Amino acid sequence: MENLEFARLQMAFTLGFHIIFACIGMVMPFFMVVSHKKWLNTRNPLYLELTKAWQKGVAIFFVTGAVSGTALSFELGMLWPEFMKHAGPIIGMPFSLEGAAFFVEAIALGFYLYGWNKLPERFHWFTGIIIGISGVASGILVVSANGWMNAPTGFDFIDGQFTNIDPVQAFLNPAWFTQALHMTIAAFVATSFAVAGVHAFQVYRNKRPELHKKAFKIAIIFGAVAAFLQPLSGDLSAKDIAKRQPVKLAAMEAHYETGRNVPLYIGGIVNEEQQTVSHKIEIPGALSFLAFGDFDAEVKGLRDFPEDEHPPVAIVHYAFQIMVGIGTLLMLAGILYFISLKYKSLFNRKWYWLIFVVLAPLGFIAVEAGWVVTEVGRQPWIIYGFMKTSEAVTPMPGMEFSFYMYVVVYLVLALTVTWLMRRQIKVLNNTKE
Amino acid sequence: MLYIVLFFLLFSLLLYVLLGGADFGAGIVELFSSKKSKRITRDTVYRVMGPVWEANHIWLIILIVIMWIAFPSYFNVIMIYLHVPFVLVLLGITMRGVAFIFRHYDAIVDKSQFFYNWMFRISSLVTPVFLGMSFGSLVGGRIILAQDFSGYSFPELFIWPWFNLFSFLVGLFYAALCAFLASTLLIGETKGEVRRMFSRKSAIFTTVLVLLGFILILYGYISEVKFIKDFINNPVSIGAVILSGILLFPLWRAIKKQNRVASRYLAGLQVVLVLFAALYAHFPYIIITTGKELSILEGLPPHSVIQNLAIMLLIGGAIILPGLFHLMKSFGMIKILETGKEEMGH
Ligand code: HDD
Ligand code: HEM
Ligand code: HEM
Repeated sequence: MENLEFARLQMAFTLGFHIIFACIGMVMPFFMVVSHKKWLNTRNPLYLELTKAWQKGVAIFFVTGAVSGTALSFELGMLWPEFMKHAGPIIGMPFSLEGAAFFVEAIALGFYLYGWNKLPERFHWFTGIIIGISGVASGILVVSANGWMNAPTGFDFIDGQFTNIDPVQAFLNPAWFTQALHMTIAAFVATSFAVAGVHAFQVYRNKRPELHKKAFKIAIIFGAVAAFLQPLSGDLSAKDIAKRQPVKLAAMEAHYETGRNVPLYIGGIVNEEQQTVSHKIEIPGALSFLAFGDFDAEVKGLRDFPEDEHPPVAIVHYAFQIMVGIGTLLMLAGILYFISLKYKSLFNRKWYWLIFVVLAPLGFIAVEAGWVVTEVGRQPWIIYGFMKTSEAVTPMPGMEFSFYMYVVVYLVLALTVTWLMRRQIKVLNNTKE
Repeated sequence: MLYIVLFFLLFSLLLYVLLGGADFGAGIVELFSSKKSKRITRDTVYRVMGPVWEANHIWLIILIVIMWIAFPSYFNVIMIYLHVPFVLVLLGITMRGVAFIFRHYDAIVDKSQFFYNWMFRISSLVTPVFLGMSFGSLVGGRIILAQDFSGYSFPELFIWPWFNLFSFLVGLFYAALCAFLASTLLIGETKGEVRRMFSRKSAIFTTVLVLLGFILILYGYISEVKFIKDFINNPVSIGAVILSGILLFPLWRAIKKQNRVASRYLAGLQVVLVLFAALYAHFPYIIITTGKELSILEGLPPHSVIQNLAIMLLIGGAIILPGLFHLMKSFGMIKILETGKEEMGH
């Protein structure tokens, strides 16, 4: 493999790592403040216990998110110096605002973690809200920068130079809104189902079920609502892409032949050499409808684009299938939760809890898959239509060593964090009620 | 507008060196403590630095973001040629950050604390050394700006520019600065026996710092490092160094007398003077390569970008600085008195 490939792998790996912590950092604070609020209202000590346990989780995840994020802000320059040289000034605005959001978050976190019994109760609780809001704000801001890579605007491209830069227009690029909306909802889906799953497992094992049922309930409500909205927002994204990045859409759907009334493929094995898809289920006209809201709309196929502008079709297609499959499944799970509110006897069934245990990792798998769709689907471009990834990569050789190092360090880190979380739960379970 | 951006660039650099530095320094002080005082240092550091710990390190991110938005050509050179030491810095930051949080937030306190503690202490020392080495190599005059990389070996381009004695001395100097800042800061946060301990440590690190600074300048002068020679020949820079030398006397007294406020401000002033002296002689030519000196003001992006950034920085500053100040005030100063008593009891 070449230097470029290793740089891409490293970028993908470190971003894929960071996004998990970023999602948790965005969403956990909301669970924490809900539980905290319930403690303030009911003075039920279980809620206090839960708040404090979650707070430790937030701190651990926050720091892991922060250090991996710090690494990323260097990495953008270290791996893609040519990209940053030209793109940095253009997409600087979301990043500088993001810096402010990080600060607000860190300040609020300082107040929250160290403020127990020192700050007035309401103010202390309120700093928790600020953590959540500024976390979501930083997520939205970075995604705007990524949106610009997909839909570059706010400059004129003259003789290979980016001129007449308008940072505000670049910030509010056409991909910004759909991507930020979809990503924010995704963070809620993924984190909620993961947290709910962890607590469902404790209920399943009958370890302090009362406490864990309370925790489960807080998490799953967020998750169920978000999982319901997710496919709607995903549909918006897909319609957007159909207009803006038709190659990406074609790759997502493994759609080779341009035509009208195009079917949607579910599943299927892609053969990139022969440009065919086998073993698929076809839904007639569905792709035309989903992309343009009209069964007869024309959808461009991959053959209409030069081969050297095709992204890796199979990866994008499979990733898309995984995301949509999981999205559908989690929406159903959300509905199941609302049903169980009506039929409370379900809460006494072991299998009910087991379902949520099994679903726990799926949200995060969908997040990773979704990013693969977005990022791999943009290849070979780093700035869609303007700069190729291969033009942006660092001239320094030896990227493989750096890649392997990151893999080892982050794997060890991930294992340690998981182990720490298990210890948190162990302590929680062993406390006498 | 450019001046606003430059102001924020230098401001975040200064705050990172000061606050981030004090933070690294806390780990270094702990590393060089006896077994018993390691424990005390650890607890004091957690109490004092804990709430502001995260915020201290965001200055680095602000610094990077300003660099890549407003000084892209300059940033480009740094990112290509200092790739390796930066990977090491990042590794250090990662290890340190997680070790700090693990040791204080692990639900079960057992033998694993041993690993967290040592990881924290060692990365606290190593990270500022590599940071200092990176800065040293920027001005060390050994970076080869190559058009075509094939004529050079990997070490020539990516290792020797930063892996040399001069850079290493800069690295050690910065690490000593960190330790000096931390121990001086901690004087003001403790009482009684513990305060005497930090006052002693602060005196030791001041001595180490001055010695290292002297060796650094001497070595730079002898081995003809351009940056050092220009620095010595620049009346303003050398004036700043002499002033900082004179101010060592009141600082020394303040440390001995365990004067909380004076020692802290005088220590901060030392850093301002040293940083000023280092940057002034060469500003805006802060990258010195084998061939030429690169100005930070070269290849600036269009005015619209600078203007937008300046506005964002002003807005951000207006939101953040009061909050930050409030946080430091709430947790830094107020608690000193109450917690001083606790420590006496231990
Ligand atoms: C919990 C996670 C999750 C779930 C259940 C879904 N998605 Fe998604 N999707 C993401 C998480 C995600 C993501 C990781 O957040 C992405 C990557 C980039 C982005 O903005 O969001 C994404 C990207 C993404 C894109 C590409 C956007 C772009 O490249 O600009 C499309 C078209 C969809 N999604 C569509 C869908 C549809 C139709 C779903 C129906 C069920 C769906 N997603 C469920
Ligand atoms: C879609 C992708 C991303 C999302 C949603 C996201 C979101 C977040 C969030 C919510 C945090 C707060 C930390 C926490 O609460 O755990 C964070 C931290 C951070 N992120 Fe990301 N991020 C993304 C990608 C990136 C990228 C590409 C960069 C680098 C340019 C980056 C740089 C950072 C930095 C520097 C921090 C640390 C801030 C601190 O010290 O508090 N992030 N990110
Ligand atoms: C955190 C969520 C994200 C994930 C999981 C992710 C994933 C990926 C993947 C898989 C690649 C490799 C694509 C390939 O080479 O085939 C990639 C590349 C890249 N991503 Fe992202 N991405 C995320 C968010 C972002 C954001 C927010 C930014 C920028 C602000 C960004 C900037 C880049 C850059 C510069 C590259 C390298 C160039 C390229 O391959 O196009 N990514 N990312």
